[in-house]
Parts: sequence; structure tokens; C-alpha cells
Amino acid sequence: MIRIENLSYRSLAIETLSIGTGVTSVIGANGSGKTTLLKLCAGITVPDTGSVLIDNREPRKSDIGWVNEFPDRNFLFDTVSDEIASTLRFQHISPGDICRRTEEIQNRFGLARLSARMVRELSGGEKVLVALAAAMIQDPRALVLDECDSHLDACSIQAIDRIIRQSGIPFVLRSTQDMELASLSDHLVFLEKGRILFSGTPESVFARLADTAFYPLSWKCRA
Amino acid sequence: MEVQGMKLVLDDVKATLGTWSFSAQGIFDEGLHLVCGDVGSGKSTLALMMAGLLPAASGSVTRDQVSSLMVSFQFPEYHITGTTVHDECKSWGLDPETILSSISLGEKRDRDPLRLSRGELKRLHLACVLANPYDLLILDEPFSSLDVNEKQRICNTLSSRSKGITVLFTHEQAIFPRVAHIWEIREGRLWYCGSPPDGLWNWHHAPPLIRTLIAAGKTPKNISPEDLMEAACMT
Repeated sequence: MIRIENLSYRSLAIETLSIGTGVTSVIGANGSGKTTLLKLCAGITVPDTGSVLIDNREPRKSDIGWVNEFPDRNFLFDTVSDEIASTLRFQHISPGDICRRTEEIQNRFGLARLSARMVRELSGGEKVLVALAAAMIQDPRALVLDECDSHLDACSIQAIDRIIRQSGIPFVLRSTQDMELASLSDHLVFLEKGRILFSGTPESVFARLADTAFYPLSWKCRA
Repeated sequence: MEVQGMKLVLDDVKATLGTWSFSAQGIFDEGLHLVCGDVGSGKSTLALMMAGLLPAASGSVTRDQVSSLMVSFQFPEYHITGTTVHDECKSWGLDPETILSSISLGEKRDRDPLRLSRGELKRLHLACVLANPYDLLILDEPFSSLDVNEKQRICNTLSSRSKGITVLFTHEQAIFPRVAHIWEIREGRLWYCGSPPDGLWNWHHAPPLIRTLIAAGKTPKNISPEDLMEAACMT
């Protein structure tokens, strides 16, 4: 369980929030605090007051996979294979294991053909796939994705959703502006001006947003 | 097809990168053109070639009677030249107060643009781009990172552009403006699907909702949310 208690950081304030295992989508307008919340859950920033705990551990003491909303800010290395392997190299895994796992995840993400390419030459969507592969290669306890779907086509989003679901990663926390994708989550959190307005199943949260542009278009059309 | 007036002509244009290649042929006249394609299919490459920022390996790109051109990159951070939000507006020759009040960023006027959230940065960038008229406006993934209200607002702005050629590259699946033409990139080349509603039948990248409506015999007149809702309510 991810537990947030009495959290305050800049304009974000959350009294209490519990997030179970599965895929949780965080939605809300631009500037509502989604990235701030995700960074706190990923341990990139720490709260001014209050706490974030992932299975009773601070995020910085947990294994976290993180993908930044700015694709170029994910990269440290030049080539696709070096970038993906870097997560394991920093953990001093044996070279043989690193090669095997890098090759395996590149195949899973359809990145093998790009293995030797320079990261900076990739398309926006390909950059996101590389960042995601680098984040998932270590089998993190929590995978935190900041709007990485905004650079991907529908087929890639579906493929990634399948890969993430099959990965067995206990906690997947993602922000998205795609309400159709959000509607397929296990949990939904709606933020407004740094506060959680609604949290629960997609059905319960979207029911509260029925008169807004956030309500999935496909749901409006089936009504 | 003979097109009079302003037009962008792609004449057997080819781009290559290692084993990857892409070709395009077509005429883009005045109106809103939607171009779809998968990740890595060549959308951004084509956008750059249309804008004259990337030379084609072969073939030619001609811009007839186009006297002003703007291309909006997928990554808004690539456009930033000002060190504050206020100065960024001024760098476009615009009145910062007018622009920032229109996108509710007045309170962040002194902030470094690169410290904005990605959605806010995209909002700022698009407000600057759309503040001026251009004969040829090329938008590469304008909706990425925008919230649903902002997407709708940008769609309304694009739909109201009465003059010029607008080329919209996107993989957006839900919120579109009304478009005049639909194109898509697949199998290494650009295909013309046609104009809605007939063009929707040829659109391989059509979002699931549109495909569902067509399969139910409820082909929408166009692809804006209003068109889809109207089609869904057909009896």
C-alpha cells in the first residue's frame, strides 16, 4: 500500500490517501499538482511536512522506476542500449546479466532495431519507450510515469499497458490526459489546485465529473 | 487534381535514415489537414520537411503562394528563448499581458519558462504560435501534455482559422477539431484518406470510438467531439 499522510509540499496538500496495488491514474488540469505528487511518490522530492510510504518504506529507500514528462530529461547516455543498461550498471550487476536483461527488454519493447541509435535522434515516442524500458529493467517496486503516454500512439499505449500489466510491478502510478486510458485504471485520483477532489474507482470518480470535459468521450457516447 | 491558390506540394519526397525510409506525395491546400501515424513513422520528419527545415533525400517540397510559415515542434522546450515567461511572450513580438491573461499564466510571468509544468509550457508556446496568422501553420503533436479543457480550446481556435493551410500532426485519440482532410503515414509512406465523412472509412488510424460508430452504421459527419456525440445519438 502507498500511504500519504498530512502531506504538504509547495501548493500540494493531501491529508490522507491510500493507494492499493495495481494501476493508478492521476488526472487533473495542467498545473493541478500531478507532477508534484508523482515526484513525491518517486522520491525525487521530499515533502515539507507529512509522509509518503510505499509498503512502509520511504520512496528513496524503495526501488522506483521513473519516467519524466520531458522525454529528453530522462537520458544520461548516448545510445539506446547504454541508456537502458545504465539502470543495472549503476547497481553493479554482472555484465553477462546486464546484456541478457537489456536484450530481453529491448525485444519486449520493440527497441532491438534501435539498439545502436543515438537517443537524441529518436522520435518523441521512441524516446519514451527507451525511458520506460530503462525504468522497468530493474523490476521496480513502484513504477511512476508522468504523462509518458502523451508522446505515444494508440497502438504503443496498448502494447505498453499490456507489458506493464504483465510485469507484476505492484504499484504503477501514472498521470495522463487521456481519459479513455484513465478509465481503464484500477484506481483514479482527481486533483484540482493541489488538492485531491476525488479518489476511487474510475466509475466512482468519473461519476463526479460527468458534466466536465474530463468525462471520457466514449462513455458519453454510450450513454 | 488541380488546386488553385495557396498550396503545399510534396512531389515524390523521400527521407532515409539507415534502413528506415519514408516517402510522401500529395497536395495540401487551404484548410485543416490531419496527419496521423505511429511512433517513429516519420510524422516529425515530414513536418520538418514541409517547413523547409530538413532537406528531402530526393523529390521536392514546394510552397506556392505561401508568404508566412510557422512550425510548432513537438517539444515546446525547443522553442524557448526568453528567460522568463514574460520575456518569452515578448520574444514573439507579443504583448505579454494579453497572452498570459488568455491562458491564466499571469501569476507566473516572472518564472523561468523551463520551470513551468509541461502542460503550462505547451499552453504558453501554443498561445504565442496561434496569436499570429500564418499562411502555412504546421503543428507537431500540439495536444501532447494539454489537459482536456485546453485541448478543446485549441481545437476551437484551429477550427476558426478561416484562411491558410494548417497541418496537424497528432496521435491524439479523443479530442479533434473539425478537419477538412485526413492523411496517415503507414507502411513507409503518406496516404490520403479523404475528407470526412467518406474519408473516415479509409482511415486505418481512426480512434476506436470512431471505428465503433462506423461499425454501428453511425458514421459521424466529422471528428470533433460534437460530431461524435451527434453520431452516437443517431437512431
